[in-house]
Amino acid sequence: PVTHNAPLPPCKRRGPGRVRSVGDGRLEVIEGCRLPVLRKNQENEDEWPLAEILSVKEVASRKLYYVHYIDFNKRLDEWVTPDRLDLKKLQLPKKEAKTPTKNGLPGSRPSSPERDVVRAGREGESQMSNGTSRRLIPSQPGRKRKANCVGTDEDSQDSSDGIPSAPRMTGSLVSDRSHDDIITRMKNIDCIELGRHRLKPWYFSPYPQELTALPILYLCEFCLKYLKSLKCLQRHLTKCNLRHPPGNEIYRKGTISFFEIDGRKNKTYSQNLCLLAKCFLDHKTLYYDTDPFLFYVMTEYDSKGFHIVGYFSKEKESTEDYNVACILTLPPYQRRGYGKLLIEFSYELSKVEGKTGTPEKPLSDLGLLSYRSYWSQTILEILMDLKSDNGERPQITINEISEITSVKKEDVISTLQYLNLINYYKGQYILTLSEDIVEGHERAMHKRHLRIDPKCLHFTPKDWSKRGKW
Amino acid sequence: MSKLSFRARALDASKPLPVFRCEDLPDLNEYASINRAVPQMPTGMEKEEESEHHLQRAISAQQVYGEKRDNMVIPVPEAESNISYYDSLYPGEFRMPKQLIHIQPFSLDTEQPDYDLDSDDEAFVNKLRKKMEITPLQFEEMIDRLEKGSGQQLVTLQEAKLLLKEDDDLIREVFDYWTRKRKACKSASLIPVVKQEKRDGSSTNDPYVAFRRRTEKMQTRKNRKNDEASYEKMLKLRRDLSRAVTILEMIKRREKSKRELLHLTLEIVEKRYSMADFGGEVMAEVLAQRALIKPTYTMPLIPLSSNQFRHQDHLELKDFKPKVRAPFLVRTKRKYEKKPKVLQPSSSVSQQSGHSSLPAFNAKDLNQYDFPSSDEEPFSQMLSGSSEAEEDSDPDGPFAFRRKAGCQYYAPGQGSNWPWCDPGDPRYRYSLTTLTVPHRCVGLARRRVGRGGRFLLDRAHSDLDNVFYGLDPEMHSLPAQSPNGKLASTSESNTSDRPAPPDLGHILLNIKSCRWRHFRPRTLPRDSDSSGLYRGLTRVSMANPRTQTGGSTSQSRTGPGPAPAAALTAEQYQQHQEQLALMQKQQLEQIQQQQAGNAPAALTTQGLVSKTLDSASAQFAASALVTTEELLAIKAKEEIVLGIGVNGVFPPAPSAANSSGMTAQTPSGHGAAAQVLMGNSVRLGMSSAGGTVNSITTLNARHIPRTLTAVPPSALKLAAAATANCQVPKVTAASSLDMVVRENHDQETTALNSIADSTVAMEVT
Repeated sequence: PVTHNAPLPPCKRRGPGRVRSVGDGRLEVIEGCRLPVLRKNQENEDEWPLAEILSVKEVASRKLYYVHYIDFNKRLDEWVTPDRLDLKKLQLPKKEAKTPTKNGLPGSRPSSPERDVVRAGREGESQMSNGTSRRLIPSQPGRKRKANCVGTDEDSQDSSDGIPSAPRMTGSLVSDRSHDDIITRMKNIDCIELGRHRLKPWYFSPYPQELTALPILYLCEFCLKYLKSLKCLQRHLTKCNLRHPPGNEIYRKGTISFFEIDGRKNKTYSQNLCLLAKCFLDHKTLYYDTDPFLFYVMTEYDSKGFHIVGYFSKEKESTEDYNVACILTLPPYQRRGYGKLLIEFSYELSKVEGKTGTPEKPLSDLGLLSYRSYWSQTILEILMDLKSDNGERPQITINEISEITSVKKEDVISTLQYLNLINYYKGQYILTLSEDIVEGHERAMHKRHLRIDPKCLHFTPKDWSKRGKW
Repeated sequence: MSKLSFRARALDASKPLPVFRCEDLPDLNEYASINRAVPQMPTGMEKEEESEHHLQRAISAQQVYGEKRDNMVIPVPEAESNISYYDSLYPGEFRMPKQLIHIQPFSLDTEQPDYDLDSDDEAFVNKLRKKMEITPLQFEEMIDRLEKGSGQQLVTLQEAKLLLKEDDDLIREVFDYWTRKRKACKSASLIPVVKQEKRDGSSTNDPYVAFRRRTEKMQTRKNRKNDEASYEKMLKLRRDLSRAVTILEMIKRREKSKRELLHLTLEIVEKRYSMADFGGEVMAEVLAQRALIKPTYTMPLIPLSSNQFRHQDHLELKDFKPKVRAPFLVRTKRKYEKKPKVLQPSSSVSQQSGHSSLPAFNAKDLNQYDFPSSDEEPFSQMLSGSSEAEEDSDPDGPFAFRRKAGCQYYAPGQGSNWPWCDPGDPRYRYSLTTLTVPHRCVGLARRRVGRGGRFLLDRAHSDLDNVFYGLDPEMHSLPAQSPNGKLASTSESNTSDRPAPPDLGHILLNIKSCRWRHFRPRTLPRDSDSSGLYRGLTRVSMANPRTQTGGSTSQSRTGPGPAPAAALTAEQYQQHQEQLALMQKQQLEQIQQQQAGNAPAALTTQGLVSKTLDSASAQFAASALVTTEELLAIKAKEEIVLGIGVNGVFPPAPSAANSSGMTAQTPSGHGAAAQVLMGNSVRLGMSSAGGTVNSITTLNARHIPRTLTAVPPSALKLAAAATANCQVPKVTAASSLDMVVRENHDQETTALNSIADSTVAMEVT
């Protein structure tokens, strides 16, 4: 028989997350359970990563389970049919695990049952042996809500955990996820149609709740207004004459343009943009208004107009040297160099401002990769171009690199470290360029054809501190 | 290995790093272990996400291959880009403008309805179209208005008819359709909107609520000070501008009045010409008639916010009277309301010795503006030249006189018509009074008990003042007995006789025969114990500029007292004054340094006084007190004596450096704070210093609200003039401080004599 932890004490908390035995001795899969779930990997091979059940719903008398793959990014969370669940390896929710701690690591880390608690094939037995105690184990309050009653239930927001407190008012990202509940942990929009693209949202976004039930949410490609149906979109397009983001074009080279939008002056567009961006940015917060931000929207022109490719937002006044708040390349344009272009543009702005900057934290996985890649290429570009004057070995300080690139010093150091360029040699630090690095860099630069041309930038920084309130 | 065991130095960002190619350094690996000395920088990611499978795989792939392999990228949910109807959905071509697109502010506000017609609506509209005229856009507009017109409660049909401009039939149809649709709709609005925050804060954690307003002030950090400063500046600017407007208003009024006067004068001349009144007989007759009418007036209600610049209508009215003498003068001199100082004829010279103590009044008195702001400094007023008020350095603080609407204020009559002029009239209780120090008769006065048991003397003007002043206090020595007067004891006698014509002999007779009351002090024992008290008193008086001004008159009067005693010449006295002035100046310079004012000297001095006064910085006040104390302790003692000696009022007995005057007896000198009390309690005391022939030079300052005062120089002039009228050759200003300022005006004194003729309003309470 399976060994267990010490018998679990009776639990005081309420909640629907109890494990119930079904008639045939099998366990019902409920929120908080963990089990391997089938998913295809990039090679289209079957994999059975461990996943947590976040929600259960019934559509046409068929159960659907919202699963989060452990150690996979949330954006891969999905609704799965029962046949993809490996019920033999079901782990029951662990008692304490889900208690959202106010200071600990709450949020996206799901409850973590002891992985060895329940072994395959033994569920019946083990469950029999400790079923009574398990029965009382509640799921975490706030996560009890089933997805299919979201929106109709009045007390769906009864986040009984913790005292509600407003997040900080600066910045655009949250790292404190203690307010996360089941609602924000789950994607709420199925599909967004934007121009000629259909996008699958990655994360929750607070579009009007009545629109979240729709199979497709329609967005006007230019003003980003959300509409419930194609008919509405058609009607809207007869009235909307925008063919570019509603701001000033401050950069144009070829088909690539950048538009600057003031979050205070153009609230509607800024909010629509944020709602869309939130679908793809996990840590983005829309808690507060857009007033203190500028939005730089990158577009690609064709005969229909200037199509949004990506954007980054930027605080008008950053107290922490942030030159980017949120940054996003829309999925259809990802992996084509646009992200790097956005980053490059953000540093060009910083150069004009005469400041160094860094992106707001936390970075996402893709954000980290993109920035590292940009920093690496930027720094290597400088190091490779260093000429030795009068036959001495070329040298450069970190501060100089920072000044040339507007990349904040800490980011320069972290990149140098990441690339393993810093070495301590004979009493001093040196930078060493290995053959691999050089070759890799040259290959990457060869592929990097999209670049920002500073000459095409028409940008005058404003001193927002002198303008009163943004 | 041992050579590598030391710690590497920290990485210095400002130190040049030589760049090597690895192939140039074959021995690099030997040093590898040291490289840990450089601390690992955080990735900037959330800890728990950092360990995610795909990220780790991508990172290691990148490190291994130097680039990402296609199958090593982080997978994301798929997106399609093949919307077949796209081209028909977004119609038309959009030509790229040659220039960068520049959006005009507010050009985005197109008046398009936010509501978008859906399929149901379309069906409805199509059906409706058979009956009546309606376009989809029109329908959208109607729904839009209905939606936006509804809050919690839906718009009623009646309201809808007001909201919509369409025909009633159409409205009814659309309204019915909308009501049905709206009721079927679960959400709050047919126009989908992002959930708004609720005011009760219940939506704090609602994940669907977004874009909350930043209710708390954004952290301004470094800018907070700026914000406050600029706010204050705005307040000040507003105040200054409004003041400018006020001034212009006043100028306008003034010029209008001038014109009117000119016209009237012209008219009179013409009338007289037509009447052939070349000799002026008719005119004289008319004026004589007019003179009989006692001018009464009520407070002019000037609808201006700042009463500071009110030119006194009543003043001009009064001015009319003296015009008997110069009837055809077209107001040669503008008479500004001044803030005359209380004339305190009996103030001792000792007051001059320490002006540095601060009269305790607050900034409000100096700045009676519409918009008080915290950084309001009297400085700015001066420098701006917009206000002359601050030279009037003697505000009454909270006790300032304010005119009451509906209250009648009489101008002082030519003299004899004041009821209290009869010393015997018991209603007014004015009696002839003699003070101990200076030992002389001060004319009519009555005694009151003020706050803290102080004795206050109200003084009254009478025609006989100049006679009274000349009375020799010693000439009649009636046994004085007073149970409670320390300085002044009374001897009472009754008489109801009307006063005789101003004949000295007659008066004396009256007094001697006890038909007039005469309060006289009992002579005090000159024990040194009392000196402390007197010193306190002295300081009190010194601190009060108003009394000082009074003092100026008194001291300048040649005392009738029997003791010219101290062999001090006027020159010596002058020297003392100068020394004191010098001390004062030095003090002021110190203050000045602290406050860094760059105003012209005289102005600055005055301004600084005001400044320090009203800023009431406790510190300075304290120091000032100390200074006073010191002055008194170190110098004043002799000086007081000497000063008194100058006046010849008091015999030079050092032990009895007693002092000031006329009236009040404060329990102890509390410095500035006590000042106001005293100063104000004396307010009603009528001091008629005007000893000159034609004069009602009653500088009864208290009766004129200081707020009405306009020209400070003129105030000084008036004070000076008053003294001049007292036939004193040289004005010795009350305090050294005043002197500093006043020196500038001394030369003007003589020229100003005529001003002293003017009468000043007096309050009848």
